[in-house]
Amino acid sequence: MTGSDLKIAELVACPSCDYLANISDLRDGERAKCVRCGHFLTEYKVDAIDRVLSFSISSLVLLIVANSYPFLSFKSSGLESVMTLPQTALALYQNGMLDLAFLVATFIILLPAFLLFLLLFLCIPLHFKKPVSWLTASGYLIFILQSWCMVDVFLIGVIVSLVKISSMATVVLGLSFWAYAGFTILFTLSLSNLDRLQCWRAIDHLNSRVVG
Amino acid sequence: MNENTGATHRLASCHLCYKLVPEREHDCPRCGSVMHLRKSNSIQRTLALLITASILYIPANIYPIMITDQLGDSEPSTILGGVILLIKLGSAPIAAVIFIASVMVPLSKLLAMFYLCWCVTHGAAKDFRQRTIMYRVAEFIGKWSMVDVFVVAILVALIQLEGLLMIRPGVAALAFAGVVMVTMVAAECFDPRLLWDKWEGNDD
Repeated sequence: MTGSDLKIAELVACPSCDYLANISDLRDGERAKCVRCGHFLTEYKVDAIDRVLSFSISSLVLLIVANSYPFLSFKSSGLESVMTLPQTALALYQNGMLDLAFLVATFIILLPAFLLFLLLFLCIPLHFKKPVSWLTASGYLIFILQSWCMVDVFLIGVIVSLVKISSMATVVLGLSFWAYAGFTILFTLSLSNLDRLQCWRAIDHLNSRVVG
Repeated sequence: MNENTGATHRLASCHLCYKLVPEREHDCPRCGSVMHLRKSNSIQRTLALLITASILYIPANIYPIMITDQLGDSEPSTILGGVILLIKLGSAPIAAVIFIASVMVPLSKLLAMFYLCWCVTHGAAKDFRQRTIMYRVAEFIGKWSMVDVFVVAILVALIQLEGLLMIRPGVAALAFAGVVMVTMVAAECFDPRLLWDKWEGNDD
């Protein structure tokens, strides 16, 4: 058997061990795993794009809310200080750490927001089956950038700091905190519904309609 | 003999979109990424980044990660110092979270990645599945070490009571963020398929 005898379009090589698998006949809700190393390959869901789209829209709304209200407030000996979400990064900048401020802002706000817009740019054309020129580019950026979003890590960080401060002062959770917690859940759901292989197949399918 | 792999059929798999194309193609026809049968210079790049991260880990632990100014006194605290302080104050669960996230996770990730690189270059052809799982776990836990940096960022933003109690970030926070990011890139550079290239049939 040589390369040309195989139907390349129906095959996928496991990214963990390079073992070939045929994934052409997956039905709705079925998952494929590599037979040799057990690595998860793909899951086919008919409505995957719609799920990603709805989770992205709702998490975008929550991200906007999370940035516009107080996040936490802190009371001690009659004094109070209120903090908003962008201030986590701004305060670092005011303390002379521009580089760290940039990193924090990128990981928890800027990159997730950028990724959400990319997801909309990708999923809206896929949903309406309208081929657009930026489809491949947005898919490319999404899969490069998605491992650098740290919204879930940040949420754990907030909880850790809450417990840390609660012994020395009263901390009040603001509206923005709850919005960010909701955003984290929806954002994670949105990305986890975006199956890499199926997404690229959908892009391929749509792009080929322009040519064909 | 590797019977049914992409490499034996001279097929390269796109690392970004998983498309299979004949090896002679230079760019992925679907997403435009550069194609390789295996990630290029995987071991050298991974090792270089791991060494960088290990060096960065030293200032991250020596210098203070945050400085507390309380009523005119300023008290710097390192990562380990913070953990010890938390245990003394009686919040052991939080101390455990910080210890796991900032000491155990980065160290075990570094060790695991060094070990995997050694496995590819010198290791015996065995434990394929375990080593792959080890890689996937190391890849997954990497970003969770950022918890401590975020905690510092939140405390700095929140605790700003002028003259009474203020928290400032320390240099170690930046060094530590560096450790986390460099190890994340190192994990991305490593190619687990190199582990499987020695596979010779059903032995595990």
